[in-house]
Amino acid sequence: MKPVNTQPKRSDEPIWWALFSAGGVCFAVFLPGLMLLLGVLWPLGFLELSPLNYASLQQLAAFGYGIPALALVGACICLPLFHAAHRIHHGMHDLKLNTGLAGKLLCYGLAALLSATALALLWCVLKQPLV
Amino acid sequence: MEKTLSIVRYNPELDSQPHSQSYQVPVDNSTSVLDALLYIQEQLDPTLAFRWSCRMAICGSCSVMVNGIPKLGCKTFLRDYGDEVLLEPLAHFATEKDLVPDINVFLQHLQQVKPYLINPEQSEQPHKQSPQQLAKYRKFANCINCGLCYSACPQFGLNPEFLGPAALTLAQRYNLDSRDQGKAERMPELNGKNGVWGCTFVGFCSDVCPKHLDPAAAVNQGKVASATDFVISMFKP
Amino acid sequence: MTEQKVNSSSTPKPYHSELSAFWWLKHRYYLLYMLREATVLPLLFFLGCLMYGLYSLSQSEQHWLGFVAFMQQGWVIALNLLAFVASLFHAKTFFELFPRVMPLAPAALMIAGQWLATLGVATVLFLMLGAG
Repeated sequence: MKPVNTQPKRSDEPIWWALFSAGGVCFAVFLPGLMLLLGVLWPLGFLELSPLNYASLQQLAAFGYGIPALALVGACICLPLFHAAHRIHHGMHDLKLNTGLAGKLLCYGLAALLSATALALLWCVLKQPLV
Repeated sequence: MEKTLSIVRYNPELDSQPHSQSYQVPVDNSTSVLDALLYIQEQLDPTLAFRWSCRMAICGSCSVMVNGIPKLGCKTFLRDYGDEVLLEPLAHFATEKDLVPDINVFLQHLQQVKPYLINPEQSEQPHKQSPQQLAKYRKFANCINCGLCYSACPQFGLNPEFLGPAALTLAQRYNLDSRDQGKAERMPELNGKNGVWGCTFVGFCSDVCPKHLDPAAAVNQGKVASATDFVISMFKP
Repeated sequence: MTEQKVNSSSTPKPYHSELSAFWWLKHRYYLLYMLREATVLPLLFFLGCLMYGLYSLSQSEQHWLGFVAFMQQGWVIALNLLAFVASLFHAKTFFELFPRVMPLAPAALMIAGQWLATLGVATVLFLMLGAG
């Protein structure tokens, strides 16, 4: 049997676990309603989603909806991205795909990159001149 | 009534692979898997090896896989199964012989978390504990070290260095005990990648625990403790 | 001390078996676990849709109409319906695990409270977007 390491290195998992948990709450609390409305009922024409046209969405963005919009993107895109990254990272280990550090960097790096992209897109929307 | 027990056999001196062997066993309403194994050993085949001791679900020795699920042989009754039952040695452990697993890894993991009261105060007085203080750790306190949770845990199966459900539950049990001051000694083991962070909350460990300790809850409460420890360590010089 | 040579064929050796990569197919409990982990796959598709919408909003009305048409395609609706079902399965497992990890109140109360929050958010979204 291998000798026991009595002082193992502290894992950085608390960071990813905290992001995973926060994202998991968002996935469970915010996203079901959003998925049903935006993903299913609205495209099928069951709902008259009046604010969801280009002009009124732009107006919403222009009139002081910056902070709520930021919170919305954080809760509905960024945190769920890290939630997904964590599950995929551990899922690869479950499937015996030993991707090691590269897999970890890819999962969380992609989540960070896509989160930054989402925030940048939001910034572009908010900075846009009204048509 | 008779039932067929298909038992996975392995003789380390002769076999390179385990193979299964069938036995016909008389069964009534009160026949446990352990009773059937003892019948086979006494009446049919004295070479069959298995562990057992108390016959009342407290020693944790007679753990076997029954139809693929880890069970205590003495607490599992053949009346609840069909005409053919498959018995295998505990999953995720090496097999010494027949139904006898090599649980040394588990015993080593137990040692690593120091599952005993650590208190440098050598007081002559007994330690007082209120019912509230007892309630904090009591639900995690009745582990019999049967190892069923290790056989239920795919993370231990994938990585035998993962400390595993029972050891982490015992660590949490002592960390929650008001008489104990050993948390600082246990945390480094829990904080590592093979500590609480090796768990992905599959949760099957809690399902198979014969003492209903909910080890999955204990391990994940350990994650909260380890995350708190992580934050505190950032503010320490 | 000199090392003794042992005849390996007569030395009892424990049998080690390796876990297959398909261990999760062996038992219903493991399958449900894998299904829980896989809920993030349709989630990622929906997040992609949200980001596409955000991108089209930052461009022009033409782009926005293109996004609306994209969302109305059958296969996109089907995948988003799958994402919705997956989110409910994830919510069920997540809400049930939470009181075990942080036992702050009776478990049944905590689970009911969390479902109420999900329902509340959906209602607010519906009122904001559907009844405007």
